[in-house]
This record gives sequence, C-alpha cells and structure tokens, in this order.
Amino acid sequence: MGFYPDLPIITQRLTLRPFTRGDVDAVLDYRGREDVALYLFDTALSREECALAVQQRILQTSWSAEGDKIVLAAVLSESDTLIGELSLIWRSEDARQGEIGWIFHPDHHGRGYATEAASALLDLGFQGADLHRIFARCDARNASSWRLMERLGMRREAHFREHALFKGGWDEEFVYAVLRREWRTGG
Amino acid sequence: MTGLQFPLATDRLELRHFERADVALVGRYHMLPAVQRYLVRPTRYQEDVAAAVEIMRGQVCLQRPGDTLTLAMQRKGDKAVLGHVSLHWSDATAGQGELLFAIDPAYAGGGFLTEALTAMLDLAFGHYGIHRVFVRCDGRNHHSAKLMQKLGMRLEAHYREHALFQGEWDEELHFAILDREWQATSKVHPLPLRDRVA
Repeated sequence: MGFYPDLPIITQRLTLRPFTRGDVDAVLDYRGREDVALYLFDTALSREECALAVQQRILQTSWSAEGDKIVLAAVLSESDTLIGELSLIWRSEDARQGEIGWIFHPDHHGRGYATEAASALLDLGFQGADLHRIFARCDARNASSWRLMERLGMRREAHFREHALFKGGWDEEFVYAVLRREWRTGG
Repeated sequence: MTGLQFPLATDRLELRHFERADVALVGRYHMLPAVQRYLVRPTRYQEDVAAAVEIMRGQVCLQRPGDTLTLAMQRKGDKAVLGHVSLHWSDATAGQGELLFAIDPAYAGGGFLTEALTAMLDLAFGHYGIHRVFVRCDGRNHHSAKLMQKLGMRLEAHYREHALFQGEWDEELHFAILDREWQATSKVHPLPLRDRVA
C-alpha cells in the first residue's frame, strides 16, 4: 500500500518539510550538542555524521514498506529557521501502528513549537496514513519529552526498569500511546 | 556454578524435562480453546501438539542467549502433567529473562503455577544470575495478572490495541521483577553471618 503524503505541512507558525542538502549546519547546531544527545541512541554528531544523516533524511518522505520513516525538518515559517526534526515510522501494516519521535534545538524550547509540530504529525498519521495507534518512547529522565507526550494527550502505557543497557547504565524507559479514536484531529 | 539437577522438586510438583511419551498428556489441555487462546503458537490439532512437545523436549538448558528451558509440571504421586513452565534467556548483556507457562484449566487455581513459577524465579536469579525477569500476558487473562501480582511482580506495561492477535486487537500486560526485588520477597532469609557455622 504505502503512504506518500503531500509535503510540506503548514501549521500556524511552522513548516514541516523534507530535508535538503543545505540543512547540514542547522542540524549540526543541535545534533552536535551533548545535552541533545544525552537520551538519544546516537552520541553527539560530528559535521560528517550530520551530513550523512541529512543525506539519508532527504529521501525519507514516504512509506513503502514496514519500518520506513518519514522524517521532516521543523522550520519557523516567518524566519525560515530550522529548529528541529520529527519522524513518523511505520511499525506495522496489519495492525496499522506508527511510532512518532522528535528532536528539537534547546534554544527554541518552551514556546510550544514541539507541541504544534507533533500534533500536526499525529494528524498526518491518523488522517493521512489511517493509523490505528501511534506510540512514542523516551528515557524516563527525559522529562521535557514525556511531558510533551502528555500534553499531546498520549497515555503512559509502559514504564520499563532496567530492561536493557543504555550508554553504560541501566535503562529506564517510558512508552506513551494514543489510539485513533482518542485523537481529536485538527486540535 | 554448581550443577543443576532435574527434576526440580517443589512441595507438590516435580519439574522435569519433556519426553516423547508426553504427547498424549499434553494433548489433554494444549488444544483447549481456553489454553491455546493465549499461546504464542496455537495448537489446534494433535499434530500441532506433537510438534510442540518435540520443541519443548529440546529445551533442556540455557547455554546461550536465545535459549529456552522448558519443564513439565508433574504432580508428585499420580504423575499427572498439569502444564509447563519455560524460562527464555532473551538478552545476555542486560541479563534479561522471560517466563512463559500454560496450565490445564482442570488444575488451575490450586496454586500449582505459583509453586512452579517460584521455583523458576529462584532458578533464574539464583542459578542463572539473571537481572530481570518479565512475563507478558494477554490483558483479558485475569488469572495470569493476579498470579503475577501474587509473585510480587510489578505491572510495567499495559499496551492497548498495539497489535493483532489471532484476528483481534491485542491487549498486553508486561510484569517484571528485578533480582534485588525477588531476594527481598523470598521466603527463605539467609542467616546473619554470626549465626552461621562455617
């Protein structure tokens, strides 16, 4: 089946668009920071690694098979500043499951941009891609991430303790989820 | 590590390896809708049971990650096979194990699973040095959920409609217990050092 969304997505203040080759420095600006990498599987990225990541992302704009990702840059429409990235991963075709994720530049935290962008992406998942359930995961220490999940109306479905090793220590993880019938489109 | 002796004896049970001759005994409960509804691999026909017993017969110890140890719950005295319990070593570096089980509904509610799973948790933490043991069960399976709580396991996850299972939306519970939590609730407390002979 697959899913080939119309891009970009325009929200009140943001444009969610595919990555382009010119985005490397803007991405390095946040992915190069230790505080951003703290709870990501990746470590802080070098410029070469960012270039590679951006190169990969340019093509990640649709789904044709399970496991495919749509990765979009979040850009302030007014100033054309790239402030972060969001992903929507196709986890199951049969059960219509998706996973959402985001990484934002700390300089732009606290203004509701992430909520605005993630909310548009949930709309895309439920309306556009006809998903039944969308979930998100984060480190239990990453309060700004799980608070965002709660603001979006996602429910905490799991709290795993010491179920895996993460960067040399025991991992503690939250899983949040929202079902299609719980999500109010266009909110 | 000291050698492990099978069968493992509990108050009323012997936990032993499966044998070829168990197909008939396992067939008594494995094909029942109430049992196979919750099995990962449904066994609807006698051939499925024979294949399931063949797999369980090979699961005799944990040597490398990915291995499963499966033991038949055999009642002392009449030698009836009441069900089975399995310990799956899912991850070596993080020391993770999963318990799986099934019981003949005719014997459910008699505390046999509590007895068998207690022995399996002792084995996982005491013998195999596992750090965390988890159990997944269907959200509709209230007996399993109550049993997990009785064993002192914590509810870590409650997934709703996260997958399709045998044609329906699945609801799944995850229970878990860490090695240090299990020691804390264990019925046998080691004597203080000064009271020991050696």
